[in-house]
Amino acid sequence: MEKFLDFIVRAGSLDRRYIFIVIALVVILPLFFPLGLPIRPTSSSQDVYNTVEKLEAGDKALVSFEYGPSTKPEIHPMAVALLRHLFQKDVKVYITCLWPDGQFMAMEALEQVADNQYNKVYGEDYVLLGYRPGAEAIIKGLVSNIRKVYTVDSRGDFLDDIPMMVDVNQVADFDFLFSASAGYPGTVEWVQYAADPVGITMSTGTTSIQVNEVMPYVQSGQIQGILGGMPGAAEYESLIGQAGIGTSGMDAQSVAHLVIVGFIIFGNISFFVERRRSKKY
Amino acid sequence: MFMKRQLPIAIAATIGFLTLFGWFVDEPHIKSFVDDDATQWFDILASFAMFLGALNLLKMQAIKVIRKQKGWPYAALAILGFTFSFTAGFILLGSYNVEISQYDDPAKVATVLASEINLDEKSAENILIAMPEGDTYIIDTPYFTKSGADNVVEQINAAGGTANMRATEWGSHISTRGSLFNWMFRFIFTPLSATMFALLAFFVASASYRAFKIRNFEATLLLISGIIIMLGRVPIGGHISAWFILYIVVLALSAGVNTWFKNRTYTLASVVGGVLLVTIAGFIMGWPVDQPAIFYLPVLQDWIYNNPNVAGARAIMIGIGLGIFATSIRYILGIEKSYIGE
Repeated sequence: MEKFLDFIVRAGSLDRRYIFIVIALVVILPLFFPLGLPIRPTSSSQDVYNTVEKLEAGDKALVSFEYGPSTKPEIHPMAVALLRHLFQKDVKVYITCLWPDGQFMAMEALEQVADNQYNKVYGEDYVLLGYRPGAEAIIKGLVSNIRKVYTVDSRGDFLDDIPMMVDVNQVADFDFLFSASAGYPGTVEWVQYAADPVGITMSTGTTSIQVNEVMPYVQSGQIQGILGGMPGAAEYESLIGQAGIGTSGMDAQSVAHLVIVGFIIFGNISFFVERRRSKKY
Repeated sequence: MFMKRQLPIAIAATIGFLTLFGWFVDEPHIKSFVDDDATQWFDILASFAMFLGALNLLKMQAIKVIRKQKGWPYAALAILGFTFSFTAGFILLGSYNVEISQYDDPAKVATVLASEINLDEKSAENILIAMPEGDTYIIDTPYFTKSGADNVVEQINAAGGTANMRATEWGSHISTRGSLFNWMFRFIFTPLSATMFALLAFFVASASYRAFKIRNFEATLLLISGIIIMLGRVPIGGHISAWFILYIVVLALSAGVNTWFKNRTYTLASVVGGVLLVTIAGFIMGWPVDQPAIFYLPVLQDWIYNNPNVAGARAIMIGIGLGIFATSIRYILGIEKSYIGE
């Protein structure tokens, strides 16, 4: 028994490189050998889906990309899934970016969904307005007059020459607003400066860590549902019936979380054994 | 003194009051100033701030390199990276397309085209033949240099085709797929950023193993809710039966009984009694994974997100809001003068 306890105490100060190896394995292996765990949509993801479902063909959706490569694994799958849902319903998509790297993320998502999957036409079915610096001021500018913020789109075409920009002058002209956000400026600013003052229906997708911050707005009804991190993306993929990167990443995340919880429990057992011994002597 | 002290304070106070009034006073001029002019001023200032930020970054890193301070090679790398992105964005266009409009013999032009688009000659020839008359075929990937594109144009023209070089417009070269800047973003910035963020998983695991300990009541609460959120958010959490959690709860309560009474009989009784109770209830209910719902991890994590979490988040938000309000008033009234260096 004493030897076993010795082992537990020693394991408590395990070289962190072993932990790194275990984490690497539990993340990589499920990607190659998927477990196919069923995904259960939460009520907040279902709310986002229901909100988009209410849109009709020809309705206008403003989608904002506020994330970069670092948070791409969490946000990009949900952005792709949402675009799929919107294009499936023939909703016109207007994309704006409050983060400079958001524009590249938007381009990638549009190429995958609008161009390759749904064969949508640029300028008629979707438009990428691009990035502008100014955070909240940009949102306020869009609420007031889009053309004061954007004279040209990301391709350098004048807004007045783009067919789907006819009669679109401010945020109030949109039927739906979605913020794919990984921080500031993002969801909270969209609620405070656009969705609330204008009264436009808004949903969001954020990193898992941001859910805490955004949840009060969801609960108060200012935001119609939230997709939280990669699980949120996987849930949305399951709701629209198109499995993507979110779904395939969930097995890896599931096992990784389970292993981390295992580490925490083992670390605590070791801590207790050590504490008991130190009290004894 | 007036220019350095009173004037900036007067400007801040005037603009501050005007912006504040914009929310409460229904006056078209003030509204227009707040909604249009002020936001455009902000956009212009934000653009300049980016330049200032970039210059500051260069200055700080350059000082580090010149003085050979600790970690100076990283500073040198930062300057190198900055210079490269700046050059790719502002100096080099890095995006030249080749478009083929005519050809005499498709087979000859296809020989050149095939090597440029990584296809076999037959497929390249088919692409040319399928090209409608009067139309042009643009090679998908642009060339980083003008000379590179010119070279291909020359080869195609020598093979009996008519090709032209077309430079991408300034501005849109940033977002053009395959341009130098775009290449840098996709193949340098993206993997580096993703790698940095992915490392978090390793450090979180290592840190939780070492630091996430039940030292006191607050730490225990944090640990339990952390575990519930971690497992409840992912699909595997849905496979952990509520009955399993119930057994753990029984064991935890028994540990509490042991600590409180320090009596082995009581501890044994609570363990046996609790386990028996749960087992009987399980047999009666037919062991459904998600019942009793209160012990089902996905339901529990939902409850934590929607109740204690929202309560805490709201408290923090209200605190921050009041703080912002107080600070703004100090700025508007000229009490806070840190922005003029006082």
